[in-house]
Amino acid sequence: MTSALISAIKRLHITITPQIRVYSSNVAAATSASTNSLSITKKEWAFQPEYTKPREVWIENLDTIEEQKLGLFELHPSVYAAPPRLDIINQNVVWQRKIRYVSWAHTKTRAEVRGGGKKPWPQKGLGRARHGSIRSPLWRGGGVAHGPRSGKSHFFMLPFHMRILGLTTTLSSKLAQDDLHIVKDLELPTDEPEYLAELVEKRNWGPSVLLVDDTDYAPRNITAATDSLAHINIMPVYGLNVYSMLKHDTLVLTLSAAEKIEERLLHWLHTNTREQSKEFKVNQV
Amino acid sequence: MGSRQITEKSLSMLRSLPRISLGNIRDNPNCRKPAKRGRAQHGGDKHGAGNKGSGQRQNFMRLGYETGNNPFYLRVPQEHYYRGHHLRREYPPLTLHELQRMIDKDRVDVNQPIDIASIVKSGIYNFFPDQKQFGVNLTDEGADLFTAKINIEVQWASELVIAAIEKNGGVITTAYYDPHSLFLLKNPKKFFESGQAIPRRMIPPPDAIEYYTSAKTRGYLADPEEISKERLKLSQKYGYNLPDIQKESNYQMLCERKDPRQIFYGLEPGWVVNLKDECILKPKDQELLKFYNT
Repeated sequence: MTSALISAIKRLHITITPQIRVYSSNVAAATSASTNSLSITKKEWAFQPEYTKPREVWIENLDTIEEQKLGLFELHPSVYAAPPRLDIINQNVVWQRKIRYVSWAHTKTRAEVRGGGKKPWPQKGLGRARHGSIRSPLWRGGGVAHGPRSGKSHFFMLPFHMRILGLTTTLSSKLAQDDLHIVKDLELPTDEPEYLAELVEKRNWGPSVLLVDDTDYAPRNITAATDSLAHINIMPVYGLNVYSMLKHDTLVLTLSAAEKIEERLLHWLHTNTREQSKEFKVNQV
Repeated sequence: MGSRQITEKSLSMLRSLPRISLGNIRDNPNCRKPAKRGRAQHGGDKHGAGNKGSGQRQNFMRLGYETGNNPFYLRVPQEHYYRGHHLRREYPPLTLHELQRMIDKDRVDVNQPIDIASIVKSGIYNFFPDQKQFGVNLTDEGADLFTAKINIEVQWASELVIAAIEKNGGVITTAYYDPHSLFLLKNPKKFFESGQAIPRRMIPPPDAIEYYTSAKTRGYLADPEEISKERLKLSQKYGYNLPDIQKESNYQMLCERKDPRQIFYGLEPGWVVNLKDECILKPKDQELLKFYNT
């Protein structure tokens, strides 16, 4: 009885593991379409994954509207299959919103409101409440007690590893939701925005797309095509951040960008960062 | 279900859930406690005096005050354990147990001589040369558990620690570094980036000369002949067989020592390490060579 139960649970586990290989819905069509040989890359990382398997993704193209599979590519599970912690993503977004936010809301205190120097009526003998100034916070038109004072900075630093985890978590959840695509490069056949818009429409990439390359200059055609499309943006690897990834429906990485992100994040995940985080330590002994 | 399955399962669940976007993320529920609403400028507090009664209205004298008497804590004679503490050398401790853990977790390389630079680089140990801290005091906690065979250089070590290391076929040296050299060893990269030439290591101050020239404490200025005699004596005192390190495969590594003027292994005073071009610049001027060799 128990052995049957155990074997049932084991079978259940196998079904639980996600079908990484069935990454796109039209696998059969894709393999038949690409008659030339697929490039299948097995990667050697500086920090090999220990208990988890590498994620496999298709390398796609941008030079035709129909999707073509150019090859298979492996992604490191520590970076692209991290636990999807929504709270960490949220903390990163809050941090990105607050780090450069300065509140300019401002109110005047009783000292700053014009007038109110004279005692409105004598302290005693009139049967009225005692008052010293017509600009006291109790009065209509008076100053504000404990109101907002302008130039209040909301700057704070999220701990270093929270920022690293924010990137891995967001990349992982994008990949898990089929919203992360790897392309060979950003070369387009034309510089017309209609072509790119149709490509995005056809591949069901959602209206907004973030393209990430490892250089901070892009081919002419894609810059010209995205120039008039406000919802399709290009970004270098060093600008990648949680907020932008969430703001766009789909994240498209070039091969070299995916590798660069992986290399940098793996480096920080395996490095003693005491020196880096010390700078941002506040109010601690 | 192990943690791996949890990650896999949650990622596969995400596939069928709505797309994560700026509109549907949130922090964990109840993870932030809202601050209580205070009243007025200081949150309506009582300044530590409590509410009404003796706390607010009576004068309670400070602890130890005896209404004008010479109080008890001043009446009894003092023993000045800490007199001049700001002038004394301090050696923050590192236990043998911690050292063994560092070795087991591969945070230090036992195939290379271990010095304070590699101990600090492990991230487990830290010290502050500007606070009169002069390096590692290796202490005997965990001496029974210590099994590594190492060539280690520390700044202070007790007899039992020396015995624990030598019993395993290791070698220990106690060496003095002046504070400036310790800054270099603590953060070599910062120094190399400054583009200065590596200075000479200074000799110990008069009150430390005895410790660092004694063979009993394995001082770096002691006579090697004396040290090998003391190694044998110590093994007889503690009753273990002294391993013959000459037959070891890593005999070369175990014999490696720094010059009394040298700060880094493999680098001599006067050299400039250029990190940008990844090269080492060595002085050629006779006057400089003479200066750095003395």
